[in-house]
Amino acid sequence: MGALPELSVDIGGLKIKNPVIAASGTFGYGDELAPFYDPSLLGAIIVKGLSLRPMPGNPPPRIVETPCGLLNAIGLANIGIEAFVGEKLPSLATIKAPIITNIYGHTIEDYAEMARRIEGVKGIAAVEVNISCPNVEQGGMAFGRDPDSAARVADRVVENTTKPVIVKLTPNVTDIGLIAKAVEAAGAQSISVTNTFLGMAVDVATRRPKLANMVGGLSGPAIKPMALYLVHEVVKAVRIPVIGLGGIMDYHDALEFLLVGARAIQVGTANLVNPKAAIEIVNGLTDFCLREKIKDINEIIGALETKGEDHEKKGDRKDKSKANF
Amino acid sequence: MDKSRYPMVEEVVSIGFNREIGKDTFLMGFPCVALTSRAKPGQFLMIQVDRQAKDPLLRRPFSIHGVLDSNRLMILYKVVGKGTALLSALREGDTISAIGPLGNGFTLPGPGERALLVAGGMGIAPLFFLTQVLTRAQNHSVKMFLGFPTSQDVVLIDQLKGLGVDLSLTTEDGSLGIKGLVTDLWDQTLSQESTQKPVTYACGPASMLKEIAQKAIARNLRCYVCLEGYMGCGLGICQGCAAKAAGSKDKPYYYVCQDGPVFSAEMIDWEVM
Ligand SMILES: Cc1cc2nc3c(=O)[nH]c(=O)nc-3n(C[C@H](O)[C@H](O)[C@H](O)COP(=O)(O)OP(=O)(O)OC[C@H]3O[C@@H](n4cnc5c(N)ncnc54)[C@H](O)[C@@H]3O)c2cc1C
Ligand SMILES: Cc1cc2nc3c(=O)[nH]c(=O)nc-3n(C[C@H](O)[C@H](O)[C@H](O)COP(=O)(O)O)c2cc1C
Ligand code: FES
Repeated sequence: MGALPELSVDIGGLKIKNPVIAASGTFGYGDELAPFYDPSLLGAIIVKGLSLRPMPGNPPPRIVETPCGLLNAIGLANIGIEAFVGEKLPSLATIKAPIITNIYGHTIEDYAEMARRIEGVKGIAAVEVNISCPNVEQGGMAFGRDPDSAARVADRVVENTTKPVIVKLTPNVTDIGLIAKAVEAAGAQSISVTNTFLGMAVDVATRRPKLANMVGGLSGPAIKPMALYLVHEVVKAVRIPVIGLGGIMDYHDALEFLLVGARAIQVGTANLVNPKAAIEIVNGLTDFCLREKIKDINEIIGALETKGEDHEKKGDRKDKSKANF
Repeated sequence: MDKSRYPMVEEVVSIGFNREIGKDTFLMGFPCVALTSRAKPGQFLMIQVDRQAKDPLLRRPFSIHGVLDSNRLMILYKVVGKGTALLSALREGDTISAIGPLGNGFTLPGPGERALLVAGGMGIAPLFFLTQVLTRAQNHSVKMFLGFPTSQDVVLIDQLKGLGVDLSLTTEDGSLGIKGLVTDLWDQTLSQESTQKPVTYACGPASMLKEIAQKAIARNLRCYVCLEGYMGCGLGICQGCAAKAAGSKDKPYYYVCQDGPVFSAEMIDWEVM
């Protein structure tokens, strides 16, 4: 067996030992899946979305399964930033993977205050900013649906922390490249794409929406092609690293995102179905690099073949690699 | 999370048997040493039929129905949709992935305490395991009320009798046993047995649990209910399985997979159920 491939990647001010990150809201507060494997082995862990004050979340039903997908309206239930820092974080000290907090607010000042609260807290490696939630100051439209408000949030977070800032975009926009450029200009060190797609499901017998909240966010394999496309768009639009996610279930899905240009990937819904999904993706990427004699995972990143003639010439190579996947 | 309290494991198990024992109702058994040695009545498993399949996507929760020879577990399930239909098509030797044991399980009655078990339909699934444990311990007096829609749905009568439990059966259409609702029979028994204070264990449809819980609270009797909730993970990571907590301001919702699935009746806000 050859030497182990280099899997480490730089996601904008934060170097992680492999490109596999647990996505917010699907990995609890960080140690819930420890009975299944050592979370230290992941590139990084993004904990459940946190707000300034505790949030009760939505009434049930909060989730419903749709074909190849999961529609959720959890309502960002969380214990609040204070309780996380005071009670949860100390118990995560044994986890060697960087812990990233995911924050959201209802006002721009909420975001700024959370950035200040996190600044200086040891054990938090970076902050991911969720801008998919309604902006109460502007009639409830999500911050992330308007380039100006997205940039203002990013700007205020960057201003208030020295930690790397990742801005997580919503797919529910007409031109995601525009939003990506705006948050890049505001100083974000990286961008994650994508949060969930707005969706609905209706119970025909009762004529009621299946979610108590009526609408929810769609995740899982159903959104993967759309998420991949959005990552492609954002990679084209900005120079900062892009972290890809949406429907990644195995290392093969992860490779698709890396090829399109994502510097790292996040695993979300897959954790719920298979608690070992994220670690299996790390192992799958390692084995893939060994098989394909790839010394450094960065060789894959953005290595999408797009030229017409190559498309035909590489026909035999494609078949060969298909057998290996 | 306190790992010693939730020593969950994932096991890929090979199915020993999977039989239709009543209308659309299947009993499945499989050997799994690690799971069996940890299992308590009221706990459940998250089951996945096919690792590669993306539809159905999520695992499905099933109560641990009982233990055979201390190395096999059983589940009892009704075919209601895609996931359970796939499960019902499996044969001996096919494999499934099971994660468990999950959840808290029932708090057992004190020595000599009388236990009333109320099962509506598939609610019998976890209560059968509880009956196994209580009758084996021999120091409890156990009475079970079992309700089904019709005689066609009735299952497990012989097995329950075999455990020596005092059993009352109701069907809604009166085609077998006493005609009526299992809740009414339980209620009548409580009125007759005023001498001692029994503890009630109930599992079944939400409407049944609501009635039992509210009556037990009104009578100031201890009562445990085994709740269902739409589950995304069963592992405490998605917060999908919320049930509204009674009164409490600092804990607005319980999570059925972690805080339950067994709750003391007064913990739940039944008005919204
Ligand atoms: C802790 C727990 C223990 C359970 N134990 C048992 C058991 O021992 N035996 C048994 O037969 N069933 C049990 N259930 C219910 C069982 O999980 C569902 O019937 C099953 O998930 C349906 O899957 P499906 O793919 O066949 O149906 P789907 O196609 O998913 O849905 C069919 C119908 O079932 C309903 N349904 C789906 N999921 C659930 C759910 N989690 N709870 C309630 N209704 C649901 C849907 O709303 C729909 O109306 C339990 C549920 C929980 C939460
Ligand atoms: C149950 C659930 C809860 C989620 N909670 C959050 C959250 O708190 N903050 C956030 O930014 N994204 C949250 N998400 C979105 C995921 O992090 C991810 O962006 C999305 O699910 C798409 O990836 P996936 O298809 O791999 O799940 C949540 C998703 C799910 C399914
Ligand atoms: S089912 Fe996911 S937290 Fe309970």
